[in-house]
Amino acid sequence: MILGREVCGASGNVLVSKGSPLSAALGRRLANWGISTLIVEGEEDSHLEENSVLISPEKLKDELMDKFTNVIHKPVMKKLFVAIYQYRVHKNI
Amino acid sequence: MANRIKLLNTLENITSIPTLPIVIERITLLLQNPKTSAEEVGKVITTDQALASKVLRLVNSAFYGFPGKISTITHAIVILGFSTIKSVVLTASFFDVFHKRESDATTFDLEQFWLHSIACGAAAQAIAKFLGSNDKEEYFIAGLLHDLGKLILCQYLPNEFNLALSNAQIKKCLFFESEKELFDVTHQDIGAFLVRRWNLPEHLQNTVLFHHDPNPSSKHFLMTAAVHCADIFVRALDIGNGGDTKIPEMSEYVWNSFGFESASLTGLLDAIRDEIAKATVFLHIT
Repeated sequence: MILGREVCGASGNVLVSKGSPLSAALGRRLANWGISTLIVEGEEDSHLEENSVLISPEKLKDELMDKFTNVIHKPVMKKLFVAIYQYRVHKNI
Repeated sequence: MANRIKLLNTLENITSIPTLPIVIERITLLLQNPKTSAEEVGKVITTDQALASKVLRLVNSAFYGFPGKISTITHAIVILGFSTIKSVVLTASFFDVFHKRESDATTFDLEQFWLHSIACGAAAQAIAKFLGSNDKEEYFIAGLLHDLGKLILCQYLPNEFNLALSNAQIKKCLFFESEKELFDVTHQDIGAFLVRRWNLPEHLQNTVLFHHDPNPSSKHFLMTAAVHCADIFVRALDIGNGGDTKIPEMSEYVWNSFGFESASLTGLLDAIRDEIAKATVFLHIT
């Protein structure tokens, strides 16, 4: 499994480039940077599952929706949801 | 109501609830005198060598912007100023008192809790900059302390804490909604109780007490609202965990008055992540 998009730091610098192979060590390092989700390509490697830092945009949307589920009917929260989702997909986090 | 009174009485009677080091009070007193010198404050801090060494480690981190350049406490005071040093000492003391105190009576993930608290402090600081405030260190402390009540519950009333945790999971609600339902007391009430007991400033009592519901008429509305937003942004970015998995509602008044409607949130979210990356130094403070 490889990175589907490059991972950028908050200031826009590339931390890991697109296509980099994923490893448990890389997952832990990114988690320490506060990066808890990644967009990936290829088949899932079973040994990476326990690090749970890998996520597709669809799964990210589902997980975010689960967090927002009690408040998504509020207009402000709907706007916040969209902003956060787009940001996380764009930043690959 | 009966549960509320019982829980508050229990809390009042816990004699082992920690106190902050005497250094904090002495510095606060010294800083009330405009003639106080950097050497005098430095001397007070260095009476507690362990604390002084933590303060030096922190001021030399990227978080404060002078990595590896400050060699003495007096030097730190001259460069950073009294207000920042007082914040650093308070932050270091807070970690001294609570960090790494394990509780065998709960499965609550304290590492994730600390990450959430530190990230909220860093996010509140980024929001302070976004709002043009000069008080960023105070915003950091306000964010760091906002869930203090959960630490007290977890460490001193673990049965009630576990009950609230599992109720929040079952009902898929926020931790404070679960507390309110079970005890009619929340971690906001408990945290504010401790902040008062520690004689910390009123604005910190307010941010702890009202971080889930910042009242526009409050004296310290800006800081309280910043912590309210920080908590929400940090949850939405999935950084750490404070005991539940849901997002609290952001006040529409805050959303509008902070200009989130018209501003792109991208710049603010970038700034928040940047501050959080620098603030991870606090995870390794002990």
